[in-house]
Amino acid sequence: MSAVRAALQRRRPRAEGAGAWLAAGCVALSLLLLGALLLLIAVRGLGHFWPASVSLVELDDGRRLAGRAVRELPLPDGEGRERLYFTGNRGLDGQVWHWLPVARIVAESRPRDLVVLERRRWGDFIGRLVAVEPAPDAVAAGAGNGATAWAQLEARLAALERLREARDTLQRETIRPLARRLEADPGDGEARRALAAATARAARLRAAMDETILVLESVDGRRLRQPLDEVLAARRPNALSTWEKLAAWMQGVWRFLSEGPSAANSAGGVWPAIFGTVLMVLVMSLLVTPFGVLAAFYLNEVAHQGRLTRLVRIAVRNLAGVPSIVYGVFGLGVFVYGLGGTLDEWFFSDALPTPTFGTGGLLWASLTLALLTLPVVIVASEEGLARIPDHQREGALALGATRLEMLGRVVLPMAVPAMLTGVILAIARAAGEVVPLMLVGVAKLAPQIPVDGDFPFLHLDRKFMHLGYHIYGAAFHGDDVQAAMPLVFATALLLVLVILVLNLTAIFLRHHVSTRHAAPSRR
Amino acid sequence: MSVRGPIIDFPPEASCFDLEGLSLAYGETPALQELTLRVPRHRVTAFIGPSGCGKSTLLRALNRLHDLNESVSRRGRIRLEGQDIHAPEVAVDELRRRVGMVFQTPNPFPMSIYDNVAFGLRLRGGLTRRRRDDIVEWALSAAALWDEVKDRLRASAWSLSGGQQQRLVIARTLAVKPEVLLLDEPASALDPISTLKIEDLIRSLKGQLTLVLVTHNMQQAARVSDYTAFLQQGRLVEYAPTDTLFTNPRLARTENYITGRMA
Amino acid sequence: MDITSETHSQHISRQFNQELEELKTHLMTMGGLVEQQVQQAIQALLDGDSRLAEQVSEGDHLVNEMQLKIDDECTRVLARRQPAASDLRLVLAVIRATADLERIGDEASKIARNAMTLIESGNGARGLVEVRHISEHVRKMLRDALTAFARFDTELALKVVHEDDAVDDEYGSAMRSLMTFMMEDNRAIGPVLSVMWILRALERVGDHADNLAEYVIYLVKGLDIRHMDPEQLDEDALTRKG
Repeated sequence: MSAVRAALQRRRPRAEGAGAWLAAGCVALSLLLLGALLLLIAVRGLGHFWPASVSLVELDDGRRLAGRAVRELPLPDGEGRERLYFTGNRGLDGQVWHWLPVARIVAESRPRDLVVLERRRWGDFIGRLVAVEPAPDAVAAGAGNGATAWAQLEARLAALERLREARDTLQRETIRPLARRLEADPGDGEARRALAAATARAARLRAAMDETILVLESVDGRRLRQPLDEVLAARRPNALSTWEKLAAWMQGVWRFLSEGPSAANSAGGVWPAIFGTVLMVLVMSLLVTPFGVLAAFYLNEVAHQGRLTRLVRIAVRNLAGVPSIVYGVFGLGVFVYGLGGTLDEWFFSDALPTPTFGTGGLLWASLTLALLTLPVVIVASEEGLARIPDHQREGALALGATRLEMLGRVVLPMAVPAMLTGVILAIARAAGEVVPLMLVGVAKLAPQIPVDGDFPFLHLDRKFMHLGYHIYGAAFHGDDVQAAMPLVFATALLLVLVILVLNLTAIFLRHHVSTRHAAPSRR
Repeated sequence: MSVRGPIIDFPPEASCFDLEGLSLAYGETPALQELTLRVPRHRVTAFIGPSGCGKSTLLRALNRLHDLNESVSRRGRIRLEGQDIHAPEVAVDELRRRVGMVFQTPNPFPMSIYDNVAFGLRLRGGLTRRRRDDIVEWALSAAALWDEVKDRLRASAWSLSGGQQQRLVIARTLAVKPEVLLLDEPASALDPISTLKIEDLIRSLKGQLTLVLVTHNMQQAARVSDYTAFLQQGRLVEYAPTDTLFTNPRLARTENYITGRMA
Repeated sequence: MDITSETHSQHISRQFNQELEELKTHLMTMGGLVEQQVQQAIQALLDGDSRLAEQVSEGDHLVNEMQLKIDDECTRVLARRQPAASDLRLVLAVIRATADLERIGDEASKIARNAMTLIESGNGARGLVEVRHISEHVRKMLRDALTAFARFDTELALKVVHEDDAVDDEYGSAMRSLMTFMMEDNRAIGPVLSVMWILRALERVGDHADNLAEYVIYLVKGLDIRHMDPEQLDEDALTRKG
């Protein structure tokens, strides 16, 4: 053996070892980053729902503040630290965030009677509950017992919930059907009378809901009258045990998932956005799958494999690289204005100039995203078709199958897993896509989900909410970006989870399809 | 070297296929040139020859599998039982039901064993389930597979071994009751035991249908066939009863090929 | 297809070429040995050399051993190579030829044993002229048959086949004259019987040489001419020549 050869053989394993370490290192780093990202989103997002304790802070100049300590940083001059408190009470104070130098804090305590109220407007209130006024005409009775007032508040909240339910039932089961009857037959006197009665009842319920007023007092002694109807939730975090806090946390998460947004999207839940996202993706999948699969079938099985087909194939692959905003513009121009405008002229002309389909909506958004993800589905399906060995096709033909029978009975079933893979990729891409949606139908606030009891039940013309756009809106367009930040994280986490669930569903489907017959090992 | 006429010792009316001046080309490349021969009915006829000699091309011409490929051009005639298979009144799917084919790689469909065998039957429908069950059993028995799979007809066809898969494919083809069975290297992907089973099967089937076998395994051709045709560069070199061809071929080219000599 | 002596060395597998070549070489060696046995047996008889006769008789086991060895090689080729066409015919011809050569060896030792009896009896036996004559004829046949085998020469082989008829005729007339001797002289019966055995053995050698020639024709032309009418043979062999 020559010296050169010996040297080469000595070096090879070391080089391979280094390569393996490098590759493994890259994988580990990627996993670490991914894990860290998810962890960050999860902690910041889910932490938001934890009912943190509220501190009562006294400063050396006699000022008193109540708030939630958020974080602590060293002062810019390097001496001492300062702490950030979230104090809420927008409407009373000009600001809801306070940076307080730790050195100036004289005393800090956690009184059990501090109340945190989530309100429909003005954000959180932090302070004391003075009294609950049962009737508008009752004279304020000075500072009552805080504990009694709290018990009253809880009772009133429960009563309010019942009132809301009664009103919703009335609205749904009496007023709306009557209104529709009247719309169909304006001369129906009986319906008119019943509607008037029901409306009056609704007004009475409304009045009962507006009746209760809370008398609140901030820790520095300013009074505030707060209608109970605007209170979403009330709790005394310092008085809660860990288990109660956990229960409150779960309740918070559930409300986040099941309720509509409030306070200009910077608070409240995201249910319409979840629903909108999932529905949009589903409608998109229903549109893109048959279209993409048929296109792939044509390209791979029917078309003459010449220069033109090759050209089309290259074009399709390049479509995947077109920026999504371009698809948005295309969707706006072609679907919304072109197609939608025409539909309006033909079928909804009596509603003009109010557009029905001539404005952004779920259908156009789904169509635009279907177009966006079409190349993915075509490419994946085509690869699936190309991977089916020719002898399978010939086997079917040799049994006397026509071309159509061969494609339908042998080729299609074998290509289904690949096609589902394409759909999975399409879903992953579509669920995370926000930019084009802004042009073709997503709405900042559309609390009415596109599915309801009114015919035709699925309203594809409606605007809808989307988790991705909700993140964007909450992060950049809320009243208080700082306060909305945890919500942004929570929504981001949710978006990831929704995509995960959608993908898992598709993967489960594919697995189910491909294991109906044990996959041969030699493939 | 001039091509001599084949030694034919069966009467014309006993021929199943009758090829007359058949030429095939892939684009500009000729694959078969001026082939004239007769394939006897209810016998095993083997085509042997070096790779690229056109034997597989010839086999695929017999059930018009080349129809799929637009670049294939053809001259000459193929008659099946006197009927030109390229005549306009011949439906190609009907022809392929009469002329079944088994390929080199076992190609069962990704379905159950039963569904594989019933595939061809279902294409035309019109059978009661009872009748279909009977035919499936008959076909699997004819392919010597029934005893091995009768307890797992619902299992995936891909769970069978290679040799079983190939017999399943033969059963699948038999189920549509073809007149001819074309076999393209049916055992080249199989182990020796499976190969012997397939060869036995071929011999046992020849009473019922005409078999045409393409193989590069000369011993196999010698073992199972009644007639052997030797093709070289798209031309028929020698066509004779197998016993003659393998003990005393008439032409040096045949001799060189079957004894493994340099041409 | 007709083949030549070169045909068997054109395989793509050189190992196969070598194996077939060895078969032929060993067959020729055996043929040479057998030829020598016959020649020496006759010489011992004519020269009255009992030592030589004894040597021939003992040499027979060498012939037997060679037959076993060549048969073994043939079996190996059949099992390993599954020869076809001319290769198959070569192996079959060699197997058959060794059998005939072995029988010729047996006939040679039979001649030697009868020669010893004659030499020991001391009588100048009658019929030696016929023996000399026929033996020369038969030896030439044997030599020609082996040459035809070595050269794949069917014409020479055909000549041997025809020659056999002549030998049979000569054998018949020699037997008749020896019978006359026995009738004329009762005392001569013993030695004459020995000579008759020798003549009989020579005639058998001729038959085996005839067989060898037939194998050459089978080997080269793939035509089995055993049990064929020699008259028809010529025509057939010629038409198939190609």
